[in-house]
Amino acid sequence: MGRRRGSSTTSSSGMGGGGMGGGGGMGGACYTYPGAPATPGLTTPDVTFNRGIYMNGSMRMDDGRNVTIWGFTDGGGGMGGMGGSFPSPAIRVNQGQIVHTVLSNPGMMWLHTIHHHGIEPSTENDGVGHTSFDVQGTYTYQWLASHAGTYFYHCHTNTPLHAEMGMYGALIIDPPEGPGRVFEGGPSYDVEAIWAVDEIDSSWRGNPWNAGTCGGDVGLNDLNPDYFIITGVDGAQSALTDSRVAVDMNRGETLLVRYINAGFLPQTIRFGGLTGSVVASDGRAFPNAMDATSLETVSAERYDILLNPSSSGSYTVEIDIKHWVTGDVLGTARTRINVN
Amino acid sequence: MKRRLFLKAGTVGLASAVSGMSGLLSWSSRAYAATINQTFFITDGMLPLADGSTAYFKGFSSSAGGLDVPAQSLIVQEGDTVNITLVNTLNTDHSFVIDGVIDSGTINGGDTRTVSFTADQAGSYLFYDKLNAPYNRVIGLHGGFAIMPQGSSDELYSGSPTFKKQLFWVLNEVDPAWNVRMQNDNSPNTAFKPRYFTMNGLSARPPGSPNYTDPDVNAFYDPRTKLSGSIGDRTLIRCLNVGMCSHSLHWHANHLEYLTSNGQIRNDIWLKDIIGVDNNMGQFDAIYPFEPPPDAYPSVTKGKYVMHLHDEMTQTAGGGLYQFGAATNIDFK
Repeated sequence: MGRRRGSSTTSSSGMGGGGMGGGGGMGGACYTYPGAPATPGLTTPDVTFNRGIYMNGSMRMDDGRNVTIWGFTDGGGGMGGMGGSFPSPAIRVNQGQIVHTVLSNPGMMWLHTIHHHGIEPSTENDGVGHTSFDVQGTYTYQWLASHAGTYFYHCHTNTPLHAEMGMYGALIIDPPEGPGRVFEGGPSYDVEAIWAVDEIDSSWRGNPWNAGTCGGDVGLNDLNPDYFIITGVDGAQSALTDSRVAVDMNRGETLLVRYINAGFLPQTIRFGGLTGSVVASDGRAFPNAMDATSLETVSAERYDILLNPSSSGSYTVEIDIKHWVTGDVLGTARTRINVN
Repeated sequence: MKRRLFLKAGTVGLASAVSGMSGLLSWSSRAYAATINQTFFITDGMLPLADGSTAYFKGFSSSAGGLDVPAQSLIVQEGDTVNITLVNTLNTDHSFVIDGVIDSGTINGGDTRTVSFTADQAGSYLFYDKLNAPYNRVIGLHGGFAIMPQGSSDELYSGSPTFKKQLFWVLNEVDPAWNVRMQNDNSPNTAFKPRYFTMNGLSARPPGSPNYTDPDVNAFYDPRTKLSGSIGDRTLIRCLNVGMCSHSLHWHANHLEYLTSNGQIRNDIWLKDIIGVDNNMGQFDAIYPFEPPPDAYPSVTKGKYVMHLHDEMTQTAGGGLYQFGAATNIDFK
């Protein structure tokens, strides 16, 4: 299981305590709150996920450039050794399960957390540095999967940088009986796609983990993305055919799209001329399903969309990523739904 | 900063309006319509930003010597007669507008004007200076205004889900290059590039920073802004986005009941942990229910959480300083 209680590192800040303000601290970081206390009320989980850190990954874009990616490894350890998958490996559980997410961040090189976005646990398990701690050592996040739906997890330390660098992965809660329905008693599906749509600003690469935390202008207010990706695949061309993103299905089947706005900017997703039935958002079922051919979304929103194409064909799904002041389309990521 | 000056209650009617720290004061419904009198002084001056620098602002202020950015919020009731007196202490032209309700027209520099209207449609409104758009609005001439349903102390609109507390969240951004131009009576001539991000005029300050515990400085603790309650203390958030940027708001620990978008009552009430707001005066109303965080194991009823904008560029000041942006605390007491 790899679970370790507590850590050799004591929590210097405790809950909402002093922190390391005003300069100095770990590696020159400011306003960080290193710690790894024992998990309150630690119990035997139904399922455990071990996560380490990598900070030397890369993603090869369609234009041949490699872009630096940070993320979480499956299995702990990590220490920036061999890179890892992007997005970070999914966390998938059943409603009702008690979950342990064990984050191992040994050493003194950097700080990270895991915030299970949309999951609403106790303060210690929420993964926010200034209300609890940035993990230095190993911490076991303990939480209950109370509502089936689509979520994601991401680092909440120096978040503008760490999330932009790729430190996120899907988090899915299936109904108690497992995959096959969106939520308990809800609609069923035959095929599933998880589309985490993100923008990448290659000029933000090269920053250290603690960039800007002590002040100074490192440009974290100014995102100018040059790549637009779907679930770790370049949306310029590759996502049109890459089997990790593009969907092959048969007429008469129902596709569930778990769409995650994993970027910071507003997006418009169009379903290639298909009309979807939107049944849930942010891990909560709608009182009434809503038909839509497109959706306007903002950072970190999730929508669960059922598509039931009645005609065979290839439908090109497009996601526009838009400027937050002008609304101009900065780029469009594309994938396909191929219906046989 | 003098934005905390309370208005002086000059008439009987005024005592019935709730202004200033509306989140702390309970609203009392009335069986009768009142006359609400309010005076705003249009003033200017320098205010501090989150990294210690300062910038020029204008505001609808509660005293001639003060500078309130945003203005003190004002809550009235359907049927009330509202008289707003605007004293323009500056030498530039300004106006007072609530879209669809009242437009003062141009108030020349040095002039005073009183506008009157009847509050007739419950809901959340922005008042702002519509002249020289969007610059006069973004530079600080704005505030929150709400009309309560007649005879109701706990509804957004007649028949809405009920609440126990209510807050205005006025969102804005600062591009100091614009403020410098405005200080010199010029309109900005550069594209808007935000460097500071505020809720009710303030940015957050994390533990260990100077002024961390000062609610006059720290948006984490500003009583006008922070969510604070015990289980069941359902709190209405009237969010008004004055700024140039669209935003994503993310609450920890509870999903919200999403009631209205841009002044329209939504067909269904969705439960959301993210709500988007359009730029250039987008708005929404939502209730934070203060229910026990559903995914805690063991279960809890107390804790300290955060609301922050999720377009994470907003969590910075001056291009860095994570945790010095648009965020506030959520305290389960």
